[in-house]
Amino acid sequence: MKLKKAMACMLAGAMVLSMGAVLPAAASEDDNTLTVWTWDPNFNIYAINKAAEIYAKDHEGFKVEVTEIKSDAIEAKITTAVNAGDLSTLPDIFLMQDNSFQKYATFYPDVFTDLTDSGIDFSQFSEAKVAYSTLDGVNYGVPFDNGAVVNAVRTDLIEQAGYTVDDFTDITWSDYMEKAKVVLEKTGLPMLTAQAGSPDVIMMMLQSCGASLFNEDGTGNIADNEVLKKCVEIYAQMVADGTLVEVTDWDQYISSLNSSTVASTFNGCWILASIQAAEDQSGKWAITNMPRLDDVDSATNYSNNGGSSWAISSNCAKTELAVDFLKATFAGSTELYDDIISKGALATWAPAGESDAYNVPVDFYGGDTIYAKIVDFATKTPSNTTGAFYYDARDAVGIALSNITQTGADVDSELQTAQETLEFTMGA
Amino acid sequence: MFEAEQQADLFPYKEGKVCFMQKKRKMTLERRHNLTGWAFLSIGVILICWTSFYPMIQAFILSLKSGLGVNLKFNGFSNYARILKDPTFKGTLFNTFFYLIIQVPIMLTLALILASILNNKDLRFKGLWRTCIFLPCATSLVSYSMIFRSLFANDGFVNTVLRAVGANPIMWFSNAWTARAVIIIALIWRWTGYNMVFYLSGLQNIEYSVYEAARIDGATPRQILFKITIPLLKPTILLTTITSTNGTLQLFDESLNLTNGGPGKSTMTMSHYIYNTSFVQSPNFGYAAAMSIVILVMVAVLALIQMKVGDER
Amino acid sequence: MNKGKKAAMYIFLTICSLFSVFPLYYMACAATNKSVDVSRGKLIPGTYLVENFKTLIANQDLSRALWNSFRNATVLTLICLLVCSLAGYGFEIYHDKGKDIVFAILLTAMMVPFAAIMIPLFRMFSKLKMVNTMAAFMLPSISTPFMIMMFRQASRSFPHDIIEAARLDGLSEIGIFFRMFIPTMKSTYAAALIITFMNAWNNYMWPKVILQTNSSITMPMLVANLLSGYVVDYGMLMLGVLICTIPTVVIFFFFQKSFAEGITGAVK
Repeated sequence: MKLKKAMACMLAGAMVLSMGAVLPAAASEDDNTLTVWTWDPNFNIYAINKAAEIYAKDHEGFKVEVTEIKSDAIEAKITTAVNAGDLSTLPDIFLMQDNSFQKYATFYPDVFTDLTDSGIDFSQFSEAKVAYSTLDGVNYGVPFDNGAVVNAVRTDLIEQAGYTVDDFTDITWSDYMEKAKVVLEKTGLPMLTAQAGSPDVIMMMLQSCGASLFNEDGTGNIADNEVLKKCVEIYAQMVADGTLVEVTDWDQYISSLNSSTVASTFNGCWILASIQAAEDQSGKWAITNMPRLDDVDSATNYSNNGGSSWAISSNCAKTELAVDFLKATFAGSTELYDDIISKGALATWAPAGESDAYNVPVDFYGGDTIYAKIVDFATKTPSNTTGAFYYDARDAVGIALSNITQTGADVDSELQTAQETLEFTMGA
Repeated sequence: MFEAEQQADLFPYKEGKVCFMQKKRKMTLERRHNLTGWAFLSIGVILICWTSFYPMIQAFILSLKSGLGVNLKFNGFSNYARILKDPTFKGTLFNTFFYLIIQVPIMLTLALILASILNNKDLRFKGLWRTCIFLPCATSLVSYSMIFRSLFANDGFVNTVLRAVGANPIMWFSNAWTARAVIIIALIWRWTGYNMVFYLSGLQNIEYSVYEAARIDGATPRQILFKITIPLLKPTILLTTITSTNGTLQLFDESLNLTNGGPGKSTMTMSHYIYNTSFVQSPNFGYAAAMSIVILVMVAVLALIQMKVGDER
Repeated sequence: MNKGKKAAMYIFLTICSLFSVFPLYYMACAATNKSVDVSRGKLIPGTYLVENFKTLIANQDLSRALWNSFRNATVLTLICLLVCSLAGYGFEIYHDKGKDIVFAILLTAMMVPFAAIMIPLFRMFSKLKMVNTMAAFMLPSISTPFMIMMFRQASRSFPHDIIEAARLDGLSEIGIFFRMFIPTMKSTYAAALIITFMNAWNNYMWPKVILQTNSSITMPMLVANLLSGYVVDYGMLMLGVLICTIPTVVIFFFFQKSFAEGITGAVK
């Protein structure tokens, strides 16, 4: 019985203690502190803390309170808060993936603070990047990291096939596919690996032509999209040739890069950090641009994948401070960008690209000044329409793609199905 | 007072003369008994009403509204009509029932066999076996999905073994059927030990002497299983069947983390689709709510059938 | 039992155990290797455990997450066991038509996908100004139809003559529950404790939405954070996963004896 009494007391005590514990609210009360939601301690969190440190030099006592939250969790929380009609749980500043930005700006514009007339000079960012966080001429976000596409090539492997990086620079897809076959023949390795079911490669190819899955008026453009059809056919052909191998998931994709089972990859420039994890491959990699589509007028060798932008929530009571902070740092401090380049975070803010830090040769890539190169790629990237239904369209195309490559389904009818799926979602 | 009532209850028909009196007393006792029962279950029931039924009613109201984002309008049963026209929902419905029909019987049988072996008095290293078999369900959902993905990857451990024995490696996640097989294997791995725990604890309520006696009478292990264990474990078997059915129909994490519904949408479950409709695709909460109500009805019907079959007192 | 059958039994158990343990061995190996080696599919233990641990604690507030998870899971489990066993006992021992109907209705509560009620639930707690409180985190999982059903099913084997005898001894109804029922149903409590603790420990969706501050981070959230970057350190990730797994295993090991040798003190 004593034991039971003790148990009961413990229980009651624990209940009172824990139930009563009210944790601090999300948006900060303190005049000089901003709360931030973001993810990845080595990248975004490092960057925002560094920015705060720089800003605090002129603004004594300023600090940020960062909560580490995965990007999909940030999205889920925003969705939940809006639908519950309680925005008071949102932080002052949050980071959002560029791919999701349009969706949130369209459906939940109340979450954001309008930054159009905030004094931030958006013309200093690359146009394609700003487009992600702009809807109907209203700026909702401050562009952050760069997702310019790089084509990372294993020089030692293509050498076995008699090629150098120059053979893969400024080329077209038809040329690329032929060279890939030679590489496969000589080394036994595919030219590319891709995550099965993910339309990343297709989306990068599309954007390199400034094309998108949507028409100007926002309606879906999948079934009769000639550029898309070309991209899908190239992809399917490469899978058939064995020059592009589909792997099960992201981990396997990274693994193929690290364990020398693929000759090259192209992706947003943030992929470099994963490539560099295999230190023993130092000097064996080189960076160039991606192939461009044949017979498409608007085709370029440049594209974008991934990246994110900062947003100020409508719950922020210190809008002026938050705007000034972002303006002085992510839209105004070369010091910040010079520092975070060490983490592989590349600027989309043009003045940063002129800094010396961007012209440092990197030994891992054979002493090339890759950062300057990437900034250059970014400025040449064509902008395209994404829109609120970007994810839905992308998802539908991914399914079509996997049916085409896995079961040999007909391209036209699969794209037609994808169009119908998209229209089903949009017609709600 | 209380004791008197008790005795009256124990010997209600002892003397015909006081029968009327006793009847009256018995009524108050029954009432009292009844109220005590309600008191026992009140906290639990109130909490469930508050944190499950109330939101459920809200979800039902939501299911009558349609639109994207926050611009929702009442639109009658249009969301339910939409379900009938949605090929993706039909696909996910098929997948979910496929998992249910294959996985639940295999898992429960295996769990029952393991539990009855582990309940054997003469077995050595019981704790070790039990812990080993339970271990999988201690792993968090994120991690076990990661482990299975890499085991079944194209160059993963399973294919390495297949190559070693001279068989052709299988691209597990590229084909709808093999991908579904991986999900089922993963589910069996993860949840067999979990269900075994219920059977083991249920077996403890059966006296060991029953088994001894049966064995002395020369019963085979098979007979013991079918004639003693299964009938006596009926309440537990019913419990695990209902919860496994329910769990499988609401399967979410495995579909999301292990295959992400792929290839295409060929392994996606209903709950995964509902989640995507709310949080990943363009948010359509009305439609998501309508689909949840449909799942609810399906699970309820299945549970009702199972109860009818298994819950005879 | 003859020797052949015995051997078959042990072989079957060994196969099942190996099947169960192998994926975890895989995880443990990964925790001791460098990220690159994990990606490359190394299957033998490495020497990188300490480094992985150092990166982990440098990146994440491991001790806080462990403490939060432990505190949440323990408090939740204790309250849940009490509330649900009371209700399950009430439903079975005092059962009548009315209670059976209520029970059947309750069961439907476990059949709704959580994704569907998450937003109404959040709205409810936000109206009550309870976002970011432990109470809001716990309340939805304290009383579950599943646990109530489990205790209801188990109460079925609790003999009515014990109750009658206890009543004759003058024990109050609540007294019977605490003094007779709980000690007798040790094995059921042990199983329920393991299951509830495990679910509370691994719960991810709801705490992720309702608890929003760094100081309330739990282990599954920590593991999810490890997966969030452009670059994933697989060695560190697997170590995080391993640490997240250990407590539930320990709890199981601790309480499994109760339903192993449960006959002691059981119903005769």
